[in-house]
Amino acid sequence: MPLSDLTRSRGGKIPIDDQIVRITSRLVVPFIQVYGIYVILNGHLSPGGSFSGGAIFGASLVLLALSFNLEAGARQIPHHAASLLESGGALGYALTGLVGVFVGSSYLANRIAGFPMGQPGELFSAGAILVITVFVGIKVASTIVTLFYYIIEGEK
Amino acid sequence: METLGGIIDNYYYMVAVILFVIGMYTMLTHSNMIKKVIAMNIMDASVFLMFVSVGYAHGSQAPIIREGAEIFYANPLPGALILTGIVVAVSVTAYALSLIVKIYRYYDTCDYDEICEIRSQE
Amino acid sequence: MGVSEHFPALIVVIFFITAFISPLLYRWGRKFSAALVIVTIAAALGMTVSLLVTVQQAGTVFYHMGGWPPPWGIEFKADPLRLFMLLVVISVSLWIFIFALRDLQHELKKRVIGWYYTLYSILVGSMAGIVLTNDLFNLFVLMEICAISACAIISIKEDRECLEASFKYLILSAMGTGCFLLGVVMLYMATGYLNYSFLHLELAEAFNYYPRNIFTAAALFIVAFGTKAALFPLHVWLPDAHASAPSPSSAMLSGVVIKIYAFALFLMFYEVFPRTLLEAIPLNEIILWLAALGTLFGSIFAMLQSDLKKMLAFSSIGQIAYIFMGIGLNHESALVGGFYHIMVHAVTKAMLFMAAGVIIYSTGVRDIKKLAGIGRVLPITMIAFTIGSASMVGIPGTGGLISKWFLAISALEIGRPVFVIVILASSLLNAIYYMPIVINAFMQQEDFKKDIKPVPRVMLACLVIGMIFIVISGFYTTPVVTLLEQALALYF
Repeated sequence: MPLSDLTRSRGGKIPIDDQIVRITSRLVVPFIQVYGIYVILNGHLSPGGSFSGGAIFGASLVLLALSFNLEAGARQIPHHAASLLESGGALGYALTGLVGVFVGSSYLANRIAGFPMGQPGELFSAGAILVITVFVGIKVASTIVTLFYYIIEGEK
Repeated sequence: METLGGIIDNYYYMVAVILFVIGMYTMLTHSNMIKKVIAMNIMDASVFLMFVSVGYAHGSQAPIIREGAEIFYANPLPGALILTGIVVAVSVTAYALSLIVKIYRYYDTCDYDEICEIRSQE
Repeated sequence: MGVSEHFPALIVVIFFITAFISPLLYRWGRKFSAALVIVTIAAALGMTVSLLVTVQQAGTVFYHMGGWPPPWGIEFKADPLRLFMLLVVISVSLWIFIFALRDLQHELKKRVIGWYYTLYSILVGSMAGIVLTNDLFNLFVLMEICAISACAIISIKEDRECLEASFKYLILSAMGTGCFLLGVVMLYMATGYLNYSFLHLELAEAFNYYPRNIFTAAALFIVAFGTKAALFPLHVWLPDAHASAPSPSSAMLSGVVIKIYAFALFLMFYEVFPRTLLEAIPLNEIILWLAALGTLFGSIFAMLQSDLKKMLAFSSIGQIAYIFMGIGLNHESALVGGFYHIMVHAVTKAMLFMAAGVIIYSTGVRDIKKLAGIGRVLPITMIAFTIGSASMVGIPGTGGLISKWFLAISALEIGRPVFVIVILASSLLNAIYYMPIVINAFMQQEDFKKDIKPVPRVMLACLVIGMIFIVISGFYTTPVVTLLEQALALYF
């Protein structure tokens, strides 16, 4: 029996209804989210980056929705907010690239376009890459949440 | 014997190619749509494995340029390509799964042969 | 120089910016959403024309993303041939989009129309990128974006046939991408580069050391692009996908999208692989024979169809084969014919799908047999259909003749008269299935008895523009042919 049918038969509630799961996930979710943000911000310094970090952050929201119920999860990040963040994240990437064009070097230019570079190895270094990483992280996290909801609920 | 030695030395390429063929065969012959999607992922993963093994250079370091040091840098290109490839594979998988969910609503089955049977009866 | 220096990047980027603004805009200002897409495509068209003028005066333009030179950075290249392709792609998509504005309201649910605009601009942007890029890595990413958005503009209609067709398309095109990526790995193994120009230089030498890698890569590329462009034995996804989609999507997919992959294969053969490879193994020969079979079998399959859009879709398989024939003949004037056919067929097939769309819009009929006498109630539409069919068959006075003429002449020049016979035979076959529709539509005495919805003027205007273009391309061929000859001279 697929998940969508289960949710339909239980009145929109996910079948997991367990005290242990709820309390554990409530404890774990903040740590997952902080870890996700850490991975996004350190994308230019260590393995990881926007996609992995965004996926971790999105997974925490999916975990919330799975361990409580869909309505509680949906309250964390509403549908229209998720789709706004999705378009906004991608738009931010494209516009950051355009800065290079306005400054007079080429599209997606970094050091030449005057982004502050900072010391290599520090958090605020690598100029435009950090900005882009954050935008893409937002985009990925919200996309994972919307994908989850679209697949599980379908069209209303 | 020389060919055999070549195969044993480059066993990681062989593994990747075998996985590729398994994925392609399953994708084209199995009628279950979920299995097709899984096979697609196996096929992509095999290519990524191959690219990782091609891009590996023994004793090299991550390509973050530090001034004043003579370091043997790895080429970042394979890594970047594979990361992008993984992202693309994820989005294709998500899209394919959501299509399957919708097809399931119409036919109550994930099997392509059964769908053809249902359509031929109409 | 100023901003015009950045045109190669901006042509691609503005489409993606529009694609992400339009869902935001659709929430608050629904009216401006369509206008924004039109403005974007028009702006891209303007940039392409200005770039073409620059390139013809000053030679090929290269653009390095982020200021990183190749082989590290991504490079865009604007030479006359690519700009010709870009001009075809962008102007045809502008034309189809104007048609789509009215047609979509009838075919789609209101809620998803905004998303259709997003997908449409992503699709056009990715195609522009495929044409301009000079890097295999970039090509891979843009090809996937193009494949997903092409599937999505089919499945957006959400009826059973569309969903199944787009699943089939998605799986086969994922197979194509897998093969392409494996081919890229093979080339990277042999050379260590992914940039076309560097690969071309390096492969000539690497060919002596790693011939097997490069052969495998060539074979994989033929499978990959053949699947995506519906080269004959790999065409199985095309009829369902193109027939079930909403009419503007069908026009876009059949008119433009499949040709992009044919163009990408052309670039692989003429810009990436060294000439010695093409001489060492009969790659051109393989493509040539597949194309010859494709022209014949596409037409034979089309004859057996009773659904109007399905017939047009099968006819695309026959017509795309002409373009592959141009690549396979490996001769300058054959390529001129092939590229002329890209332009003519893009307009003709898009117009035929639009005409089919108008017929479905106003009467709801899809069955070919029930179209008898329709010429009396929808005269402009059926005249457009007639001119389109004439161009498909290759009747003098239409653009279709010119491309076939160039192909036939060059086949004679290199001493392969078999292919002249193939071209003639396939033209005859085309006539067998197109002409009865036209004759029935006008000559049948019985009146058409269905209810007729009045057709919006915009849709008819689009058909008229298509007709005018096809007739002009049949008579006034010099500017395009000179442009193509100049552009192709760089490859020989």
